[in-house]
Amino acid sequence: MFERNQKTIFVLDHTRYFSIASEEYISMDFLKGKPSAHSSAGGSSQFSKSLWTCACESSIEYCRVVWDLFPGKKHVRFIVSDTAAHIVNTWSASTQNMSHVMNAMVMVGVPSRSMPQSSDYSVIHGLRAAIEALAEPTDEQSQAMASGVPDDLILNEGRVICITSARDNTSMKSLEDIFNTVLIQQNVLSATPPKKGLGINHCHLVILNIVPLGIDSMVTNRNLLEISPLLDVEIHTVGAPDISYKLTHLILDHYDLASTTVTNIPMKEEQNANSSANYDVEILHSRRAHSITCGPDFSLPTSIKQGATYETVTLKWCTPRGCGSADLQPCLGQFLVTPVDVTSRPSSCLINFLLNGRSVLLEMPRKTGSKATSHMLSARGGEIFIHSLCITRSCMDEAPSIADGPGGRVNDYRTSELGQLMKMSRMVPLKSRDPAAPNLPRRLPRYFPLTTTSTVLFHLQRHLSWLPHFLHLLVKEMDKQDEVRCQQHIHELYKSASRGDVLPFTHTNGARLKPHKAKDQYRLLYRELEQLIQLNASTVHHKNLLESLQTLRAAYGDAPSKSEAGTANLRSFTESPLSPERLEAMSNVSISSSTNSNSLLKASKRRMSNCGTRSLLDIISSAERSQSNKRLDFSGRICTPIGQIAKLYPDFGNKEKDAAAAAAASGVGVAPKE
Amino acid sequence: MPTIIAVDASLSMLRPVPGRNEHTYLSLATKGIQHLLDNFTAAGKLEHLALISYTTTAELKVDFTRDYDQIRQAVKKIETVDKACLLTMLKTSVSIMSTWGAQNLLQLVVFTDCGLGFGTTSISGFLETYAGKEADPEYAWLRTVANYNLNFICLGLHSDQYFTRALVMYQQLLDAALLKGQLFMTPVKNPETNEATSTPSHKSELGRTAVFELIERLCETSYKSTEVTLKCGSYFRMEAPVLLWPPTTPYEQPAVLGVEAEVRQIDQRIDVCGFLALSDIGSPATLSRHWVLPKVEREKTSRRSAGMAAVAKPAKLTLDTSNPNYELERLEQDIREFYAKDPKDTEESGDDADVTIVLKHSSGPQTEQQKECLCVLLHGALKMENMAALVRVGEKWYGFMYAFTDAKKKSNLMLNILPPGSNVIPWLGDLELLGFTEDLAPGETASFPVRADRRSYSQSSVVWIRQASLQSDVQKVLRHAKKMPDKTQHFYKELNRIRRAALALGFVELLEALAMLLEKECAHLTLNGASNECTVQLQHAATELRKTSNRDIKSTIVPHQKGGVPDASSSAAVASTAGYMY
Repeated sequence: MFERNQKTIFVLDHTRYFSIASEEYISMDFLKGKPSAHSSAGGSSQFSKSLWTCACESSIEYCRVVWDLFPGKKHVRFIVSDTAAHIVNTWSASTQNMSHVMNAMVMVGVPSRSMPQSSDYSVIHGLRAAIEALAEPTDEQSQAMASGVPDDLILNEGRVICITSARDNTSMKSLEDIFNTVLIQQNVLSATPPKKGLGINHCHLVILNIVPLGIDSMVTNRNLLEISPLLDVEIHTVGAPDISYKLTHLILDHYDLASTTVTNIPMKEEQNANSSANYDVEILHSRRAHSITCGPDFSLPTSIKQGATYETVTLKWCTPRGCGSADLQPCLGQFLVTPVDVTSRPSSCLINFLLNGRSVLLEMPRKTGSKATSHMLSARGGEIFIHSLCITRSCMDEAPSIADGPGGRVNDYRTSELGQLMKMSRMVPLKSRDPAAPNLPRRLPRYFPLTTTSTVLFHLQRHLSWLPHFLHLLVKEMDKQDEVRCQQHIHELYKSASRGDVLPFTHTNGARLKPHKAKDQYRLLYRELEQLIQLNASTVHHKNLLESLQTLRAAYGDAPSKSEAGTANLRSFTESPLSPERLEAMSNVSISSSTNSNSLLKASKRRMSNCGTRSLLDIISSAERSQSNKRLDFSGRICTPIGQIAKLYPDFGNKEKDAAAAAAASGVGVAPKE
Repeated sequence: MPTIIAVDASLSMLRPVPGRNEHTYLSLATKGIQHLLDNFTAAGKLEHLALISYTTTAELKVDFTRDYDQIRQAVKKIETVDKACLLTMLKTSVSIMSTWGAQNLLQLVVFTDCGLGFGTTSISGFLETYAGKEADPEYAWLRTVANYNLNFICLGLHSDQYFTRALVMYQQLLDAALLKGQLFMTPVKNPETNEATSTPSHKSELGRTAVFELIERLCETSYKSTEVTLKCGSYFRMEAPVLLWPPTTPYEQPAVLGVEAEVRQIDQRIDVCGFLALSDIGSPATLSRHWVLPKVEREKTSRRSAGMAAVAKPAKLTLDTSNPNYELERLEQDIREFYAKDPKDTEESGDDADVTIVLKHSSGPQTEQQKECLCVLLHGALKMENMAALVRVGEKWYGFMYAFTDAKKKSNLMLNILPPGSNVIPWLGDLELLGFTEDLAPGETASFPVRADRRSYSQSSVVWIRQASLQSDVQKVLRHAKKMPDKTQHFYKELNRIRRAALALGFVELLEALAMLLEKECAHLTLNGASNECTVQLQHAATELRKTSNRDIKSTIVPHQKGGVPDASSSAAVASTAGYMY
């Protein structure tokens, strides 16, 4: 987790020597865009970057790449050294960004030419500070320490890149020795209480010895050398203008990056909008983007760019057909990318193309001569990724058709209803999530038959205009007013049942329902309604509705009591409407859908109850009693299906139970989160 | 799981099986292969199979296909040649397998009488030369074979000492070369008396049934789909047992900070958490992909008797009253019956032939294809809405299901398992933090993608490592300069951008150079009769660039105000005279 490259510290030499020119001259005429042949006159019309500017811009470019590719994960710090060490930024996230570093660098400024040459001015101050900085924990390390991870498990390695200029090998050697000594001292400090910082497990010191163009250095290049178990050092001497190339080369190894050059990007010419030419853009990304796709029968084509010392993989641009960033590609890995040359016109054209939501497939040749799209570039959320695609044969290539599988020949699935629910249960990113917020099982309907042939209710929903509204009322939090409306609907149903109306089914192929089926249709409807209400019961109103439905079912000879005889009685009663007055007082609400008054409802209810074995008096008095007893029932009883034991604090238990069930299922005992 | 079926075609395979004159080893192998194919067919013909026969050389008989009939035909035509050479076959398999990517679990099923071979090509010969040369590039192919799953169907009798010794040698080979493999053999009967009392007159343990048992065991260990319960909501029909094919492989989670490394399997129940548009998901990296297939309860009876059993079964499904969903199931069944044409009715009324067809349908047993299935409904809705269902496959481990359509327009429900962790798709953010619009605080809005901090390429970064980029920045200022006063604001904006970058990089030389360029431009424009405003601004800008007081992060060069402070105009005048000195 804590790799060597998670901490990098640039130590920039800010002594007087760095104010001298790099001797790579920029002509003023060139800046104006005139042809260079015209401006052979030297002298005042040209200028040069200082060594300081070269060191500064190349190290900032290094961290641009790091922060683009590993935002928040890999940290880079800057320390400027003259008479003392100046800390430019810390490990904290707020200072780990380009604008902070750029602003801080304005304050540092170019080293003054008028500074006296004195031994006070040295890069040593910076190197000492760098070691102290290595001992400081990053946010991640602090977090790990705080969470109780033993210190010896928190690996603390880092890299110091020192850009300086040394006279000869001897002074370089002393620099190395001092660094090693300070490193050991620091670890002693860290180990003895009061512990000052983390012990440093290993440090990789890269010394870039820079000289103006055309000057020979007395310092010899040296490859990685182990100075001590704690310290590896390498030394590179570079001409100031080439330091960026050197760092680009080094960064590949430091972060295990690879380079890809997208070739053949068609672009309109700046001067001539009618013609287009092909351009190349080089990007950097994790090396795994290449290695993950490799297979035995192909290898990615590589080349070495002019002036570069590393290989780049050349992949050909495929002009995207549609607006295809939505296409789901079989992807093995996605990695952030950043262009090597972020300001060039081809780079910014490619970037803008991607940031506008288009994706680009990249093509490579196979050994057999055919081509394969091995990678894809696409931008999401303002970041550009390279996706490594699966190009080898996969056993998933040919789909077994779902139509041939189980359930494949059923053609009346409630697909569009489920589709609607999906749209309503579309997820969004939240800043924080309330663990009590309803999860999907609580959002989706509790009663959802899969096909229209296994439901009467949802089948009829399309043909009975009042039914959807009724069903909607049933599944939501119900109040008194809703209950009254529902009771009305139930009554309507009852009336049409007693009239013997045929429900508007479409499944019967136009054939007329047989008489006994006409009766079945209402029985099934009642039963289904009952199930639906039972599954959704959350209020006393549901309970009431359930009661009236059960009475209705009983009346229709479909109750658990199975009193078929009742139906005959029922018919005779429906012929003589009663007019109960009590109900009118109770429900003085305006009713839109029903054509009949509430009184009928109540009346019918009573009549229906009548069909049992009880006497009329029994029925009336029980109805009266139930009216007067309409205080809130114990909520547990309402929510619980008949015959089951009510649960106390159901909401309180639910989540824990869910979590526990999930944990049990996964086989890991964990406490619910938060 | 692409599989190579390898048949040992050495002459020894032609031996009759002792005590079973009707069988040779080869004919048993053939029967075994047919039975294996039967099993794969019953499981939906998902496996890609290739057939090779091997002797001194290995010969590809049928390349990878799902057309099992090709293999059935080719198996019959296998002819024995000479001696067995297992290692040649393994080496050949590497090149045959090479078209498959590392994402597929590759398997080998070898039917052999476990001959050891002769001379240098024998297994013992190989083990001798291989010892100590593990890293030799000559044996690099063995590293590839180590990724395969090797299944040996060992045809032989435990009473045969040659066979039992060979088994030991095969195991040694697997161990020495670090190959994953298993030897399937008939169970050892009476282990204590095995050697002494086994009589050749006794009908040997190796026969058709025994081979079939080996195949069943092979299918059970190496070809079993992962079985999980898929749950979408709370209604009981929205929960169903499904098979994931190819089976999921365990994920080896590396040790992190004191947390031990562990091998993780997905949960037995995968829950749908919510839905996402496919366009929001994009193409994230996935650990593995699987078909989500409905699990079908297969009767243990063989296919031949299955039809009989079905006929015997009553048309009406018997429901279990102890089932908590008994009421609902009974209701559904009653509703279905209600919709179905009543057979008695149609018989009575004696309607046309059309009805009798329906009658046959409804009275016969429902085939699996006619039974409703959650997977099909989910697939249909996801496909229609172009959406994916986010599923939780484990503790902080997710995947998503969607309708995948292949090149031939065949479609099925696919599950992509993401790498474990809740923050694996940067543009979706933390998957544990996904919720529904109702969960948003009032006035809060949320949508995909989750935006990251601006990267260098989406800011107007300044990098002057290449001179060309410095040139284009300077030219931009000069272009705006020519178009002043219209572009005055742009001019100063670009000017300040350059100035700030130059200050950050300690590139003060550029400030002076730019001041000079502006003065030259001013002189040039004055000659060409540019507007007064333009020259005044250029002079002003050049002066301001040179001021050391402006070398501060907070200062910004602002346009010269007309009739502004006299001090400013005088400095402009000084600057203009200075400009002509060059």
